[in-house]
Amino acid sequence: MNNEETLLSVTKSEWIKFRTVRSTIMGVIVFAVLTIGLGVLITATIRAHWATADFGRRLTFDPVSTSLAGVLFAQFAVGVIGSLFITSEYSSGAIRTTLTAVPHRLELALAKLLVLVLSMLVVCEVVCIATFLIGQAIFAGVVTPTASLSNGADLRAVLLAGVYLALLAVLGFSLGLILRQSAACISVFVSILLIVPIIMLLLPQSWQNSYEKFEPSNLGTSMMSVTPRADLFGTWSALTVLLVYVVVVFGVGVTMLQHRDA
Amino acid sequence: MLKIDHLTKRYGATVAVDDLDFEVKPGVVTGFLGPNGSGKSTTMRVILGLDHPTKGRVTIGGKEYRELKDPLREVGALLDAKAVAPGRTARNHLRALAASNNIKRSRVDEVLEFTGIAAVANKKVAGFSLGMSQRLGIAGALLGDPGVLLFDEPVNGLDPEGIRWIREFFRSLANEGRTVFVSSHLMSEMAVSADQIIVIGRGKFITQGSVDVLTATAKGSVFVRTSDNTKLTSTLRTRHGVVHEINDNGLSVEGLSSDDIGRAAFESGIAILELTPQRASLEEVFMDLTADAVEYGGHAIDKTSDE
Repeated sequence: MNNEETLLSVTKSEWIKFRTVRSTIMGVIVFAVLTIGLGVLITATIRAHWATADFGRRLTFDPVSTSLAGVLFAQFAVGVIGSLFITSEYSSGAIRTTLTAVPHRLELALAKLLVLVLSMLVVCEVVCIATFLIGQAIFAGVVTPTASLSNGADLRAVLLAGVYLALLAVLGFSLGLILRQSAACISVFVSILLIVPIIMLLLPQSWQNSYEKFEPSNLGTSMMSVTPRADLFGTWSALTVLLVYVVVVFGVGVTMLQHRDA
Repeated sequence: MLKIDHLTKRYGATVAVDDLDFEVKPGVVTGFLGPNGSGKSTTMRVILGLDHPTKGRVTIGGKEYRELKDPLREVGALLDAKAVAPGRTARNHLRALAASNNIKRSRVDEVLEFTGIAAVANKKVAGFSLGMSQRLGIAGALLGDPGVLLFDEPVNGLDPEGIRWIREFFRSLANEGRTVFVSSHLMSEMAVSADQIIVIGRGKFITQGSVDVLTATAKGSVFVRTSDNTKLTSTLRTRHGVVHEINDNGLSVEGLSSDDIGRAAFESGIAILELTPQRASLEEVFMDLTADAVEYGGHAIDKTSDE
């Protein structure tokens, strides 16, 4: 049997494991409720106050990223799903059973990565598209301009919102490979997204201007905007930078998985 | 066949396993015996590729564990029965294991049936008693119908009926020609369930042999009662016997056989009233062998990372 077949069977096994624990199911529910719920709340509020909104605000209004604003809260749920996919195995000790069944650790990490990326892409795209459509339906007739999936730039922004989330799930998973403890892993994940920007605020203004755009959540904002802010990365550059982050952290995680005792 | 080849494992400054070198043969139950902290679990973990050896290697049929394709089909192991995701059902746990090693799904139901947990197959593992978890662990070990089976302290937490079941189970696996390697810190357990015993202490190899040979080579003592114990004592001491006076006017003699003592008494003109070789129990043999190698002695505290 060749390696592709083995990777396929390990991936099947990890897929069974991924969908048969409650943390995954709960994580997906929390994620969907947060994204859609906050999306509805924000778009409905904007609609209610649109008549009194000032001209400048109307001029720079982005109906796509505004309808997807819930993503910036829901990203934590996605990170937790990714983290727990590996850290829960360490906390229960099940990792030893897993590694006994799959001693080739690179293969195990790749199988888990495949399961996580594919399932989170599907879930996140579905939720983002639904949130977007609900948001536009709420805007309809009152808030202008509205956006549509038939518009290439709008479609790109919505789809990249899903890609952003799936990549954050991988970031959480990769941190989990390194840290192995759920609490530590989730703390670090939250710190990267929330605390680093706060520390950034304490730095000199010139540094802020140069480094702000490297913050993961700003990369996300760029990815899900039709026209990203001038001081941030453009859409594709933002995706590239985020990919570099994820690949580096995943690489470190896999290396540590291969060299440490389980 | 399982071969431990000059294996050393260090965790920082602690030497958990120190140059272990032995083979475990198929067709018999081999007991792996040592006090707590002697390196049994570490050895098991290295065999399964979970921990990297510092020196030496372990091979199964000539290959290292990590080189095995579908390892569950060649080696089945039960290290820690509770090392299972608590939120998953027993069946899903086994299905995932089966899928990873290309084992057909029907085998899951077979092993659930065989280990007697089919009725709770769709229950979450979190609610399992230790005994049920042990059975699930055994089901996982048998999933790939492997030729080599490893069990780390398998009787812990089992009720007497479960212990009897597992002894017969080991025996039947060995009778089918499989290699069965079972660790324990309980000599009494090994005495009834193992054919061959490997004894380690403080990570070092101490001895190896069949249960009978181990007890026979242990230094036994002889109880002797005579018409003149005082005279016999001095006679035996000239022949390098170690003599203790005990109750009922009897003597306990070490270092001489009952033949030696009988002849010595005859030559000194002493009438023997009673002469009984005291065969050492396995427990005593074990205590004797590992006396210098007990990690957690009552007198000293030492650190170790093994459990």
